[in-house]
Amino acid sequence: MSTDTMERREAVSPAGTGGTPAPAGPTRRRRPDTGQLAAWAFLAPVVAYLAVFYVWPLVRNVDLSTHDYTVRSFIDGNAPFIGFENFADVFTSPTFGPALINTLLFTGISIAFQFSIGMALAVFFFQRFPLSATLRALFLVPWLLPLIVSASTWSWMLNSESGVVNSVIRTLGGDQVNWLTSPQWALTSVIIANIWIGIPFNLVILYSGLQNISGDIYEAAALDGANAWQVFWRITFPLLRPVSAITILLGLVYTLKVFDIIWIMTRGGPGDASTTFAIWSYQLGFGSTLPSFGPAAAVGNLLIVMALVCGFVYLRVQRKQDQS
Amino acid sequence: MTTAVRPAAAPRSEARRASSGRAGRRSLATTVIGVVLTAIMLFPIYWMINVSLTPTAQMRQSPPSWFPAAPTLDGYRAVVADQLPYLGTSLLVGIGTVVVTIALAAPAAYSLAKLRPRGGGALSFVLLVAQMIPQVIMAMGFYAIYLNLGILDEWWGLVIADSTLAVPFGVLIFTAFMRGIPDELMSAAKLDGAGAWRTFISIVLPVSRNSAVTVGLFAFLWAWSDFVFSSTLNSGGDAQTITLGIYRYIGNNNQEWNSIMATAVVASIPATVLLVVAQRYVAAGVTAGAVKD
Amino acid sequence: MISPFHSKKAAVALVGLAAVSLALTGCSGGGSSAGGDAATGTYTFWDPYPQFDGASDWTKLVESCGTEAGVTIERTGYDTSDLTSKALLAGQQGNSPDLLLVDNPVVSTLAEAGLLTDTDETGADTADIEENILAAGQVDGKTYGVPIGANTLALYYNKAILDEAGVDPASITDWDSLTSALEKVTAVGKKGITFSAIGTEEGSFQFLPWYWGSGADLTELDSDDAVSALDLWTGWLEEGYAPNSVINNTQTTTWQEFMTGEYAFGENGTWQLAGIKASDIDYGIISIPSKDGGAAPAPTGGEFLTVPVQSDDARYEVSEKIQACLTSTENLVATDTTLSYVAPTKDAQEAQLAADPDLEPWVTAVGEAKGRTSDDLGTDYPKISEQLWKAVQNSLSGSASPEEALKEAQTAASSATE
Repeated sequence: MSTDTMERREAVSPAGTGGTPAPAGPTRRRRPDTGQLAAWAFLAPVVAYLAVFYVWPLVRNVDLSTHDYTVRSFIDGNAPFIGFENFADVFTSPTFGPALINTLLFTGISIAFQFSIGMALAVFFFQRFPLSATLRALFLVPWLLPLIVSASTWSWMLNSESGVVNSVIRTLGGDQVNWLTSPQWALTSVIIANIWIGIPFNLVILYSGLQNISGDIYEAAALDGANAWQVFWRITFPLLRPVSAITILLGLVYTLKVFDIIWIMTRGGPGDASTTFAIWSYQLGFGSTLPSFGPAAAVGNLLIVMALVCGFVYLRVQRKQDQS
Repeated sequence: MTTAVRPAAAPRSEARRASSGRAGRRSLATTVIGVVLTAIMLFPIYWMINVSLTPTAQMRQSPPSWFPAAPTLDGYRAVVADQLPYLGTSLLVGIGTVVVTIALAAPAAYSLAKLRPRGGGALSFVLLVAQMIPQVIMAMGFYAIYLNLGILDEWWGLVIADSTLAVPFGVLIFTAFMRGIPDELMSAAKLDGAGAWRTFISIVLPVSRNSAVTVGLFAFLWAWSDFVFSSTLNSGGDAQTITLGIYRYIGNNNQEWNSIMATAVVASIPATVLLVVAQRYVAAGVTAGAVKD
Repeated sequence: MISPFHSKKAAVALVGLAAVSLALTGCSGGGSSAGGDAATGTYTFWDPYPQFDGASDWTKLVESCGTEAGVTIERTGYDTSDLTSKALLAGQQGNSPDLLLVDNPVVSTLAEAGLLTDTDETGADTADIEENILAAGQVDGKTYGVPIGANTLALYYNKAILDEAGVDPASITDWDSLTSALEKVTAVGKKGITFSAIGTEEGSFQFLPWYWGSGADLTELDSDDAVSALDLWTGWLEEGYAPNSVINNTQTTTWQEFMTGEYAFGENGTWQLAGIKASDIDYGIISIPSKDGGAAPAPTGGEFLTVPVQSDDARYEVSEKIQACLTSTENLVATDTTLSYVAPTKDAQEAQLAADPDLEPWVTAVGEAKGRTSDDLGTDYPKISEQLWKAVQNSLSGSASPEEALKEAQTAASSATE
């Protein structure tokens, strides 16, 4: 049975990106040139698209971060090249430490919870019960809302005086919690809102991943007398590994960029309590009436580097998985 | 291979037979749990509706009322009077984004998944990196390009910009699903003498219908709720989306929250309908009906 | 060829949706192409009033000034916090609008960027404008725009609550009397005061009357006077006279809190007048007291109408005509009545007072107000302001004492403004 599973797994489970080893089968002697030509012909639109729309902003951002741009030279374009000075300023700024910690906490905790809750919900909804399709669709509704609305709604609910969460706490006899205005709770509050917004994404992708697992495996497990938890932990979860990997990676990349939620709920405050790199970059570039584009771009580039590191880690995990 | 189903829920016909028995009661209990979970998840949405019906004087009262005591329809009246053109533009841009995203992502994913181009891995990585660029930076780049081409404030310009939110992701998802298409299908087509393009159109695309719906769903949702691109590229002119329309109620000194929330509620309705309909397509498995056991 | 769509129904539905959305878009009326650079007859006008749509009085006024000058105006309203970056981005690409209405502290930033023409270049006449209002738009002796109106802050109070607590508003003349009034109000179970201390320019704006009222100067954030001002606010929070939510309140949220009728005092601006008159709160206004008595200098709000630099300077003539038209006495009165601002010229102010005598305390307040970028601060102000609001946040949230917070702020501000 295990050989069957392995073969089916290769054929069926959605693997991640990156190169994969060719499955055994027909000889690899293809007409290489025409094959490659055709392959790249299909890729041509996307390559052109990437070059035009992604490369230019990236180049511009690197340019912004390595020159000393005042508002005047931003307009005129004659900014002196200062190498890594903007980055040095960023690293030595008192905001750097808190922002780094907040970014790591915000991203790590959000992903952990979004993924687990998304996975639990995906498994839950996988059972066919009446209304499951409709309820599943309703779970995506938080995603439809413009972020200004969802973030504002959470702000409303978490308001120290007039928020519904505190009124429930007060009714239950507790003390009011200053969700958005105390340095202890500000980061937690934005994490909670971010988890809420991230659950639909995880739910949809993991659910689709669950679709690809053949029912035969489950039947065999049932015959072997496995209980629900064992089925999940020993069969479902390992088979979902490639999908989980890509979900977590994408989640990391997107969460690193999260800005609207935090900005609308706490503006990164109080003080620096909920400032992440994305918020800091915005504060530098657009948050005051005198923008500092150089440092803002530098922080933006730091974000991209962090995401790149995650990408490399993912590739290594991918390679290990393919080898095993 | 038929639709993948968990062993706990028996195949459909058996479930119907057993529905009046223990299995039926279990699935009713499951439904109740499902409804409770959904209710918890959607509670902020309920609150949003609550605020949209609250008159300004009572908005910040403490303790807040769980149900609008003296509901006002002012917000909704404002929305109906002002926001319909914005809703139309958002719908147009959303659908356009879906079309562009699938048109760009599907062929590329087919190539990466099945045609094994040299350097395909590098390209996949580049696509991953592309998603790491913060949106504000992308928007500034687009602004420069569009301005020089004179195509600011066009709805289709916004479609192309919004597609950058979804194309890399779309390629990822399509690639993953297309990898799962059994090679037997492809070999069958080759035996019939079909070239890469023909195989793509007549075999791969139909079979990838469900992943196309998934990608389309994400593309639509992202385009629908996008603000940064709309604000940078389409603030003037007539092709403003609903996310900009909301700012009509955010004046320089005053904000009308019941109108803002009402706009969000009204804007959610067409998209929710689309969601519920699309879910049905994501329900079936990837290769349903493609290869019979 | 097999269609990717499973059923024709889906395809038809999509086409139908597209048709519906095109039709809805069409409802908004015909569109003209953007761009006022090539065409001689179209001038672009940007302002921070997205709440005014095409059919509003403001748009009609702007368009009529255009027609008077012989051109068509294309007006776009942007979110005010966005407008600075939009203006900079547009300027960089050579796409500046012909006329730009911006919040006054932004004027020095845009002038510094070389984006704005000064009144010498355009020939605008600013002789009638009140000096203190005009100061916000002046950098190094040159004036970079014409104010369209001014507003400032004052303390709104709820008469019913003050009566209940036995407080006479006329007795509130300095900080001590205000604090004891708050004590009396909370003693009868009502809420004291609400204001905005959010970590943005709005927070600084609301803190400045108290800051300046203590005698402190923006160039010395850690002076004893400054510490006493921050101490005042922090004390109120600790005693419960002000709610904790002020740390996150925008001015709108503050206003919503005051409008619940549970607060005795609310610090807010002229622009709320129309709203409170329409409500059923019995209100009154006192100027914000300074520490030792008398009215504290409040910061000026309000927008400036500027003429950005264009590649074709022949356009300035028409732009200046439009600018003069919009700032004529008659139009100033119309605009400022709609916005609930105070007009920037004596003549217009008199006309406003004639129409609505209730404006008197506001006119006086505006007369005593100060520009934020005045005192030659110019583009130093944003950097100082940022440190100031951070200090306020840190102190109010308890992360630092008022002295520590302001000391930190001063160190950061002086290194930023070197």
